[in-house]
Amino acid sequence: MLKLERVAKKYKGAGRYAVHYLDLDIPRGEIFGFLGPNGAGKTTTIKMIVGLLEPDQGKIQVNGFDVTEDPVGAKRSCGFVPDNPELYPRLTGIEYLNLMGDVYQVPGDLRKKRIDYYLNMFELTGAVGDLIQSYSRGMRQKLALTGALLHNPPLFILDEPMVGLDPKSSHLFKEVMREHVREGNTVFFSTHVLEVAEKFCDRVGIIHNGKLIACGTLEELREQSQQEDSSLEKIFLQLTEEGERP
Amino acid sequence: MRNRLWSVYLSLLNMQYGVSVLRHRYLKERRRLWELLLLTVTLIPFGVIMFRFFWSMAEMLFVGGLGLGQPHVALVYGAVMASLITLFFGFLSVLSAFYFSTDLELLVTLPLSSTEILLVKFAVVLTGKYAINLLILLPFWLRYGILAKAGVGYVISAVLVFLLLPVIPLLIASVIMVLLMRVVNLSRHRDKLTLIGGLLVVGLSIGFQVWLSTNVGEGDPQQMLELLLSQTEGLVRAVGRVFPTAIWAARAMAQAHTLQGWLNFGLLAGASLLGLGALMFIGKRVFLASILQGFEASKGSAGKRRAKGTVKSRPVLGTLSLLEVRLFLRDPNYALNGLVGYVMFPILFAVSLFTQEFTGSPLELLATLELPSMFIFGVIVLYVTAMVAMSMIPSTTFSREGKYLWFVRSLPLKLEEVILSRALAAAGVNLVGCLVGVLPMAYLARWQWGSVLLGVLLGALLSLVWAVSLILWDLRRPMLDWVNPIRAVKSNLNAVVGLAASMVLVGALGVISFRLSQGSSAWLVPVLLGLVGLALAAVNYYVLQRFGRKQWRQIEGGM
Ligand SMILES: Nc1ncnc2c1ncn2[C@@H]1O[C@H](COP(=O)(O)OP(=O)(O)OP(=O)(O)O)[C@@H](O)[C@H]1O
Ligand SMILES: [Mg+2]
Repeated sequence: MLKLERVAKKYKGAGRYAVHYLDLDIPRGEIFGFLGPNGAGKTTTIKMIVGLLEPDQGKIQVNGFDVTEDPVGAKRSCGFVPDNPELYPRLTGIEYLNLMGDVYQVPGDLRKKRIDYYLNMFELTGAVGDLIQSYSRGMRQKLALTGALLHNPPLFILDEPMVGLDPKSSHLFKEVMREHVREGNTVFFSTHVLEVAEKFCDRVGIIHNGKLIACGTLEELREQSQQEDSSLEKIFLQLTEEGERP
Repeated sequence: MRNRLWSVYLSLLNMQYGVSVLRHRYLKERRRLWELLLLTVTLIPFGVIMFRFFWSMAEMLFVGGLGLGQPHVALVYGAVMASLITLFFGFLSVLSAFYFSTDLELLVTLPLSSTEILLVKFAVVLTGKYAINLLILLPFWLRYGILAKAGVGYVISAVLVFLLLPVIPLLIASVIMVLLMRVVNLSRHRDKLTLIGGLLVVGLSIGFQVWLSTNVGEGDPQQMLELLLSQTEGLVRAVGRVFPTAIWAARAMAQAHTLQGWLNFGLLAGASLLGLGALMFIGKRVFLASILQGFEASKGSAGKRRAKGTVKSRPVLGTLSLLEVRLFLRDPNYALNGLVGYVMFPILFAVSLFTQEFTGSPLELLATLELPSMFIFGVIVLYVTAMVAMSMIPSTTFSREGKYLWFVRSLPLKLEEVILSRALAAAGVNLVGCLVGVLPMAYLARWQWGSVLLGVLLGALLSLVWAVSLILWDLRRPMLDWVNPIRAVKSNLNAVVGLAASMVLVGALGVISFRLSQGSSAWLVPVLLGLVGLALAAVNYYVLQRFGRKQWRQIEGGM
């Protein structure tokens, strides 16, 4: 579903690579957690996948579409929520959702059904007629989630989706993810919350200084770090510490 | 330790004009230096023209005034001009600096009183006005000083007057805006009211200028001078009633060597201080409160009618055009700047008609002018085309997105769709705005409706094509790192270059069309304009394919 081959990116004017020859292959129906310390290159990777940054080298395929050769096809297969969704403050919530529905060509009755479903669940129904500038951070996040889910995207890709959600919403959010995967779709998200990654993801990848230093199920990671029964937190700390050493 | 207000003032100034950003870009990174060069090269001729204009104006007024034994009429005129310009643009700058600037959120958390914030903000806006006034007054006063063989007293007094001159007009603008915003901020329909109030204030200040010029005379300099000289006392009295400060300023400079002169200067200084006190007095009561109310984002009026939210499908191109129109019109910063032109130009045109020497009403004059139909056609086409650039909608379309640009770029859209929808939005808003001026004009002047209709049609097409060019120009290097939305239109190089290019294009086409429309081959006018449109479209297409797509993929900012 999502395939990265030797993807590298150096920001203009930066001294080092933000992402350094990254390989990833994520099959359909998987929940994949993308971990790494601050500045490791998670956001950069995600932006390249959704077409906001152009990779310097390498190939990215989403749902069989090459991101550089057929960006529109690739983007149509994605639903994307950035880490801090900056939505046009002077649109109302419903105007934003209609815009998403029009652009992703979600037919009217289906659109209405899905909008009602998610708004109800996230308790946004009362606010949907207000301008987005009056929303709280979490409300914006939930609106962005709803918008990105409208077209039932084969690949749902999120950058730190838990930040800003209250306990109930974050629980609901996880339910939505599970259901989305059950319908045969794929979820890829970055996070700093290791418990979520531990309990919730089928596989996790750990990126450090732009390089993937570990990738697999929790079991596989334990083997790699030669630490039986240890938590993801310990593994994470050990692996990223090792990366520090020359 | 620096005085804390001074330090806040300096950082605000820095943010307002992006000093650090520019210094970093041009001095440290040394990138895009050619841009700076290009700007200087284009600005120099402009500066020279301005300089010579005010230089000779001062000379003309001085010589004329001398014949009447009142050479200081020139100084009065200069002071009035500068004051009016400060007042007029003051409304917009005050509105954006006092109420729509993003640094306000930081500012109110600092341990500063309401009065202090107001004072610092006022100082920042005032600084901008000094820059503009310098352009006008330097040549003007220089020429006057040379002609009048003025001494050191004149120079000293000129410097002091320069510092005080914009204070009062800007105070007037500030007081009006502070009071207006206090009322507006109490309402749920804040954005709409701001827009309406802003247009009203601008309209009023144009109206004021109209009044002044119909009393004083405007237009042809020769004619204006005659008027001035024949009724100098009338002028001085007329102006004196509205801007006594201009008279005091002029007298202070003209009689700088006498006690009389310094008394006038004292009056000017006293009035400025008094005005400042008044602003502080009002500001203390309402300024902070109205800023804080501004933070309470209005929930919007669109919600009231359909709180539940209706699901409505539109074609992609339509929905994207609508998005651009909404984003532009709902932000008073943009809307005010973009829409003022549609009101201003027709009014200014009407005023210039009213001041024509003509016995009988101006309407009769209009109707008796038998203009060739191709001339009317050409004027309308070119007006519509020029105004699409004046609105700044197309030339700032990506720059205005700023940190929101990620959104459109993450959508599954072809660049063609993005650009075309934005061009349609710009041309659409522009067409409606232009009709506000064109239709009454056509009716009053009894223009042939055939040429009007044809002009509007071709104008719509040509402005659409030209909008695409301007959009592509903005795409080349959108200015995305602004904090104050007004900067995305006002200090945007893309918009400036777009305007300059439009003036050149429309000017050249205007001259050629005018020549053609007078002769026997007037039918060539629509042919010429049509061919130019086709050629531009071809260039647009080539640029889009060759550079646009790549650029669209490679933008790194805007997130
Ligand atoms: N716009 C940019 N310009 C230049 N360098 C950047 C830019 N954005 C990120 N970087 C650099 O790229 C590297 C990777 O950043 P990235 O944002 O991908 O990290 P991250 O893993 O998402 O971190 P976090 O957990 O803090 O969100 C960092 O070294 C950062 O300094
Ligand atoms: Mg990140």
